[in-house]
Amino acid sequence: MTSIVELRGIDKSFAGFAALKDVSFDVRAGEVHALLGENGAGKSTLIRIIAGVHAPDRGEIRIGGEVVRLSSPRDARRRGIATVYQELLLFPELTVAENIFIGKAPRGRWGRIDWAAMRAKARALLEELDSRDLDVDAKVGGLSVASRQRVEIAKALSQDPRVLVMDEPTTSLAEGDVARLMSIVRRLRERGVGIVYVSHRLAEIFALADRVTVLRDGACIGTRPVAEVTEATLVSMMVGRSIDQLFPKVDAPRGRTLLETRNLSHRRAVRDVSLSVREGEILGIAGLVGSGRTELALTLFGITPATSGEIRVDGKPVVIDGPRAARDLGIAYIPEDRGLQGLIRTQTLRENVALPVLDRISWATIVDRRSEEKRAREAIDRLGIRARGTEQIARQLSGGNQQKVVVAKWLGTEPRILIMDEPTRGIDVGAKAEIHALMGRLAQQGLGIIMISSELPEVLGMADRVLVMSGGRIVAAFDRAEATPDAVGAAMTRVGESRDVA
Amino acid sequence: MDAAAATPAPKSGRLARIFAAYGQELVVLGALLALMAFSGAVNARFLSENNLNSIFSGNAYVAVAAIGMSMVIIAGHIDVSVGSLIGVLATISGTLAVRGYPIWVAWLAAIVVGIAIEAVNGVLVAYARIPAIVVTLGMLSILKGGLISATSGAWITNLPPGFLLAQFRFLGILSPVWFAAVLTVLAALWMRYTALGRSIYAVGGNPDAARAAGIQTKPTVVFVFALHGFFAGIAAILFASQLQVIQSTVPPNLELNVITASVIGGVSILGGTGTVIGSTLAAVLFAAIGSSLIFVNVSAYWLKAVLGLMILATVLADMARRRRAV
Amino acid sequence: MAPSLRRFLRHETILAVLVVVALVVLAAQSERFFTADNLLNQGRLMAEVGLVALTMTFVIVTGGIDLSVGSILGLSAILVGVFWKNVGLALPVAMVLAVGSGGLAGLVNGLIITRFRVPPLIATLATLALYRGLAEGISQSRSVRGYPEWFYALGQRDAAGVPVQVWILLLAVVVSSAILGLTTFGRATYAVGANETAARFSGVAVDRTRLLIYTASGLMAGLAAVIFVSRVSTTRSDMGTGLELDVITAVVLGGTSIFGGKGTIVGTVLGLALIQALRSGLSLAGVKGDGTIVVIGLVLIGAILVSNVFGRDGDG
Repeated sequence: MTSIVELRGIDKSFAGFAALKDVSFDVRAGEVHALLGENGAGKSTLIRIIAGVHAPDRGEIRIGGEVVRLSSPRDARRRGIATVYQELLLFPELTVAENIFIGKAPRGRWGRIDWAAMRAKARALLEELDSRDLDVDAKVGGLSVASRQRVEIAKALSQDPRVLVMDEPTTSLAEGDVARLMSIVRRLRERGVGIVYVSHRLAEIFALADRVTVLRDGACIGTRPVAEVTEATLVSMMVGRSIDQLFPKVDAPRGRTLLETRNLSHRRAVRDVSLSVREGEILGIAGLVGSGRTELALTLFGITPATSGEIRVDGKPVVIDGPRAARDLGIAYIPEDRGLQGLIRTQTLRENVALPVLDRISWATIVDRRSEEKRAREAIDRLGIRARGTEQIARQLSGGNQQKVVVAKWLGTEPRILIMDEPTRGIDVGAKAEIHALMGRLAQQGLGIIMISSELPEVLGMADRVLVMSGGRIVAAFDRAEATPDAVGAAMTRVGESRDVA
Repeated sequence: MDAAAATPAPKSGRLARIFAAYGQELVVLGALLALMAFSGAVNARFLSENNLNSIFSGNAYVAVAAIGMSMVIIAGHIDVSVGSLIGVLATISGTLAVRGYPIWVAWLAAIVVGIAIEAVNGVLVAYARIPAIVVTLGMLSILKGGLISATSGAWITNLPPGFLLAQFRFLGILSPVWFAAVLTVLAALWMRYTALGRSIYAVGGNPDAARAAGIQTKPTVVFVFALHGFFAGIAAILFASQLQVIQSTVPPNLELNVITASVIGGVSILGGTGTVIGSTLAAVLFAAIGSSLIFVNVSAYWLKAVLGLMILATVLADMARRRRAV
Repeated sequence: MAPSLRRFLRHETILAVLVVVALVVLAAQSERFFTADNLLNQGRLMAEVGLVALTMTFVIVTGGIDLSVGSILGLSAILVGVFWKNVGLALPVAMVLAVGSGGLAGLVNGLIITRFRVPPLIATLATLALYRGLAEGISQSRSVRGYPEWFYALGQRDAAGVPVQVWILLLAVVVSSAILGLTTFGRATYAVGANETAARFSGVAVDRTRLLIYTASGLMAGLAAVIFVSRVSTTRSDMGTGLELDVITAVVLGGTSIFGGKGTIVGTVLGLALIQALRSGLSLAGVKGDGTIVVIGLVLIGAILVSNVFGRDGDG
């Protein structure tokens, strides 16, 4: 059976970081081809190349057997490739029908929009998606996330595509909606559409996909028919065998409890979380996207303060109502979104490093420049940051070095509890190893580290204990010895009550 | 002024849905009727034909200008120069008429120059990426200074009778009222039912998504500003022809009135939503407020403060509504 | 050379060069120009706009804008007269209260922006109307005159040969320059403008910073009002109309980015000087006041156009 879209030998790098290396991938008509891999494996980059957003540095793309160059997303759309991204591109103030046909509404005379035709076509599309209950005249802003996603799918379908790429479609969906989505995908398959289904939920892949391709660290590990694999094979393909080599785990002496929470909640994002971290301990928090891990971190750090429950530092109950309060208690947070939350990219390394401790390096609010300069220099030396000097603008540094600046910045606050959210995302292997080594050193110095990561190997390799979150709750806890990829992976998809793991 | 449209529309009932979609406009209409009833009760002369005529027709040009302004705000921008622009266009138009040019040339000039100047604004905003507030703030002083320098404060008198568009009557009603009503309806239909009209909402609501959907955002922005210039031109002609003379200055805070009319009429200052019908109603509401202050014996000097409070109240309500919807 | 130093040199130096050029041209135009008397007089005229431009620099660096400064000036001006003549307070007290009212007006701006999350553009556009409206309503278009002699010393006399308000302006320049460039508050200001989220995540008190800045903007407008009244010997409700244009132009011309995160007091001062030189030159050339605002408007648009075009390449 010939492929509709085929990619061969694709290379793609961003600012020196190789996102894809010699990847080949193809989609056939009437199949669901799952694309599997951890965060940072290259899935996003690959689908963006298929969607025409990026052009590959090397390799060729064939559509219907012919070699093509996709010049833009519009070009890809015209050739029959439709994409549904995780971030929905909808207009909340416009109706469902308008959103579906935005930019390509059926016209009547005088270029007027033929509203009747548009609404009828919209209804027909929704019916194909078994979504007759969606009112085509409703404003999209008032719809649930699942409904909005269906509008986005209908929008993709309105182009009559031959290939539909779906990027993590079920991350924000509840159980019932997931089932509905899967039946929609099956319908599309029956129509002969080729579907690229990006996901890291193994259960769905087994339920839906015909073939599966696993990416790891930008390389294609293999493409197999789903019938020929088991969860274990897939996980081992995703994780690889060299866990020990990548993460030199150094044992650190465990001290007293630094941080404890009891029934900690923030609205509905964090529910009833009870945990504890000790000196010298690395507590890993695993879970799927949307499971509430970052929300938990933001609550501990005071960005979204707790609405109920208790936090204790050094055994004493505390209230954390903002980042300043958290810092004063010795808690530091290395955020998930480095560019937006972690650094001020237009400012210098020196200014960034000084920002959280300005009040500590100033006399009567006048900033002590020499102290600031010293700190910046120390940061460069201590973490091995490759920069031209303390005055270099943050945005010019590579991803790995930017992350080091963020870490240095927070280490400067002399924290005792360090929360790291996806600490090595989007970083080259060398810098990754350096950060892992740093974590080990910090643990040895007596810090308690909470590490949130979507990379199972990282969690399994570094953590002394692993907590698994799902739906805002902690649903499982493992000691280092018990934490196997299967056990942890299985727990991530579990929905249930909170486990008390303090 | 708080719209009851804070809660999402229930699935049932077309009436409920219309109310939710047009809540703000209905509130303005309600306020207008209430105000008229109240003022009429306090002082019957408020409801005299003369006064009502002066309220509606004397301020219709504000409503016309607000049509264009609403479009600009819906597209996600703003124009604080419209007051001076109308002054300039009125002067150009009147001067041409007085100098003996055919009336239609004088009228056309106002419209064409209006389109041209606003198109320049649009280009600076869309292509040079200068924020609209800055562009139009600069344009405001260029126009204001230019106007006074050119006219040296002199009034234009001896306007030929054929020029005085605002004093014509059709079916007994003064033409400005017709212009405001007809243009409002046409504009509302255009924005609701044509692709280009809808794309203005798209560009203002979510520029990235608009671009991803293939809408040419930059030319659309320039077009919206140009269209706004068109309405400003018509408003200028109506303003110019209200009396036998054209004063050398426009009424102070004309731009504020126009922006306020749009905002209170339901156009969210954050872009992406609102209708021109609301802005027209709101413009009439202000005229009525201004007039009623006099009849109810409150000093007219408080009018601006009232306007300011109304904008503030509406914007706060709008922010509150958005936060609840999230 | 350190990138930030290089950046500094690019904009502010060009500006300084322009100012020098302008001064030379003006001196050539008229011998009266380069006299101490005239220069000091220019300083006197610059004072009100200058004071407000200093705090406006902070506002724009945080990525915001304050369109209501002119209206706050007008309101404070009226209140001087009201507190003194109508309420019967001693003039010094009235002056202090008027400046305080300016601060209060600024505080209200700040609260609307931080508490209610209204974009600064809209919030200050609304208060521009509200405060001016209050000024008009309270004054009922009557003006207050007949202030005691000593009051005029503020706006019209000299101290040690230099106009009083120029001393005030100089002091304000030094203080604000120190605050923006040297203190933690200044760092917070830059951080909020460059990346509010990262600033928040780094423990910067974002809302409090904004609140203080808008309050200061109002206070400065109040102070400028008192000086203005003293200079023109009367109070009218239309005072300060159009102030925001001059102030914003000076700040933007001085190199402060309208998008926030960049800007210096030195730049604003140079921008002010350039605008004053422009005005001066135009009036010497016989252009009336209205002609000059045309030029100011062009300068405003031109300054941002140029910075947008050149800002893309080479940011250090």
